[in-house]
Amino acid sequence: MAVRTENNRRTVLVVEDEFVNSQLLGFILSEEYNVLYAEDGRKALDVLKENARSISMVLTDIKMPVMDGFELIKAIRSDKSLRRIPIMVLTSESAYEEKSLDLGAIDFLTKPYDMPSIIKARVKRIIELSEGRKIIRATEKDYLTGLYAREFFFEYASRLETAGNGGRMDAVVIDLDRFNVINSLYGRSFGNSVLKAVATSLLQLLGESNGIACRFENDIFYVLCDHHDSYDSLAEKICSDLRSLSTSIRFSVRIGVLPDVSRVTSLLQQFETARTACNSIKSDRLRSVAFYSDEMHKKELLEERLLNEMQKALDENQFVVWFQPKLDIREDKPVLCSSEALVRWRHPELGMVSPGVFIPLFERNALISKLDRYVWNQAARQVARCKAKYGVSVPVSVNVSRIDLFDPDLKQTMLGILEENGLEFRDFLLEVTESAYSDDGEHLVGAIKDMRDTGFRIEMDDFGAGYSSLNSLSEMPVDIIKLDMSFTRKIHESKTTLRVVELIVELAKSLGALVVAEGVETETQYRLLILKASSG
Amino acid sequence: MTIDDLRRFGADTDEGIRRCMGNEGFYLRLVKMMPNDQNFAILFDSIEKGDLDTAFEAAHALKGALGNLSITSLLDPVLKITDLLRSRTRMDYSDLVSEIRKKHHELAELCGS
Repeated sequence: MAVRTENNRRTVLVVEDEFVNSQLLGFILSEEYNVLYAEDGRKALDVLKENARSISMVLTDIKMPVMDGFELIKAIRSDKSLRRIPIMVLTSESAYEEKSLDLGAIDFLTKPYDMPSIIKARVKRIIELSEGRKIIRATEKDYLTGLYAREFFFEYASRLETAGNGGRMDAVVIDLDRFNVINSLYGRSFGNSVLKAVATSLLQLLGESNGIACRFENDIFYVLCDHHDSYDSLAEKICSDLRSLSTSIRFSVRIGVLPDVSRVTSLLQQFETARTACNSIKSDRLRSVAFYSDEMHKKELLEERLLNEMQKALDENQFVVWFQPKLDIREDKPVLCSSEALVRWRHPELGMVSPGVFIPLFERNALISKLDRYVWNQAARQVARCKAKYGVSVPVSVNVSRIDLFDPDLKQTMLGILEENGLEFRDFLLEVTESAYSDDGEHLVGAIKDMRDTGFRIEMDDFGAGYSSLNSLSEMPVDIIKLDMSFTRKIHESKTTLRVVELIVELAKSLGALVVAEGVETETQYRLLILKASSG
Repeated sequence: MTIDDLRRFGADTDEGIRRCMGNEGFYLRLVKMMPNDQNFAILFDSIEKGDLDTAFEAAHALKGALGNLSITSLLDPVLKITDLLRSRTRMDYSDLVSEIRKKHHELAELCGS
């Protein structure tokens, strides 16, 4: 876009050898523009090169000495720094008009000139159109990959879909696996090369097929293209193209497809659906491509229903808290020493809904805190009832989700629950999953330390399931380490697992922490754990 | 020279002034430049030499300027000669040239007054 001058006016160049004509046109335009003059094409090019960035429009005569208007138009159109400038031709010869437009002029003014108001309106309109087009050109593409920016993608995609030849089109979502890891390990610059390479592969696909593509966000690409029965070859092509960047990295992509987009639903929504298909592909999967299916549709409907009915379920106590016993096996006879609060949804129509369904769903939708608070209250009441009825305290462990740790009122809420139910810190254990330590560690570790300093006991859940167990322990001392169920399940099958359990028990002992083994189901597992507990 | 003088000479001064955005002074200044336009001399000279290409370019240039100033009485014969020269018609141009010379001379006198 041309730069405006100090007086905030745009600049136009009038190229005309007939003095009267040039003065008259300049006079008309000088009300709104700074006007530069040149008597022939050659001089006009000199002026243009000196003022390339500031000139908004060229108005040129055709018949001129030295270099005529046609040559000038050609020169401007072939010069990279000048070709953005719109050209209006001044002529009294109708034969010149068509040729000028063919060469790249945008419009023409006939001589004798129209009335000034008309000239000014036409010049203004052309400059506006030209600048609008430049803004679009500058913003419609993603700067990194050259694919469309997302807003333009949806605009053009809906036009493509509407104006299409009636053929079937697919909404395709492409997600690069472990891109964040690649970025962290090999640097942002390499990460950018990866994104560019994916874009190039997609453009090649689109070169052979009708469609458009955008980088929707970070490492996720959206494509609207003619229907394909399979996208396996696309996944293979992207990965093989990426291997040219590095053979040591195992690249993989996930592709979700909504076949046959419909004109009834918005494209954005349909791409969300394709994304659901994409997200259905697990990271340890055998396939790279998933088409949106009836099964996914049913799952989505169920999830939507569960989300909508969650509040009602809380109000009607449909969520029930079960208590899983924890037994102390250090003595000869196992003794009930504590319990863990587990939540189940007894739905009036759907029956028992698995926590494996609703907990990840509530976590994704930031509703888990509500459920957590419900469970904390229910669990605390149960401990209080037990105390009142049997005169004994059976402490309970409750889950504290990652998102809860960001709540500045967490401590007050917990203290309020203890007070309300007459409980002490030892009655109420807080379970935090190991992954909570690894994501945004600093803040979360701070929040957990604060709870621990207040007096709460912290239990690290799923220890050993992630990659950062030892690291998290060094950052964050805990009171209880809960061994991931996978160790218990394999303890009698694998000597290595047995040895690892032994080490964890020793480690816990040195840290002054207790170890809880989850999911003990067989006599053998139990015996082996007793052995390790007594040796540890 | 006044606007009335020009009108009597045969100019559509209302249109010419409108084209100059109502500025009479500017209009008169441009009109006064017309007699000195070199294209008159080029036109006369090239017709005499039979160089119709050059003559056409000169006539064409005059047509644009006179049209913009709406000096109709001089524009009319210039329009006629431009049309003939556009097709490079070989003919006797002396009557048309005389008419243009006469009007050009009158305009020059008017502008000098």
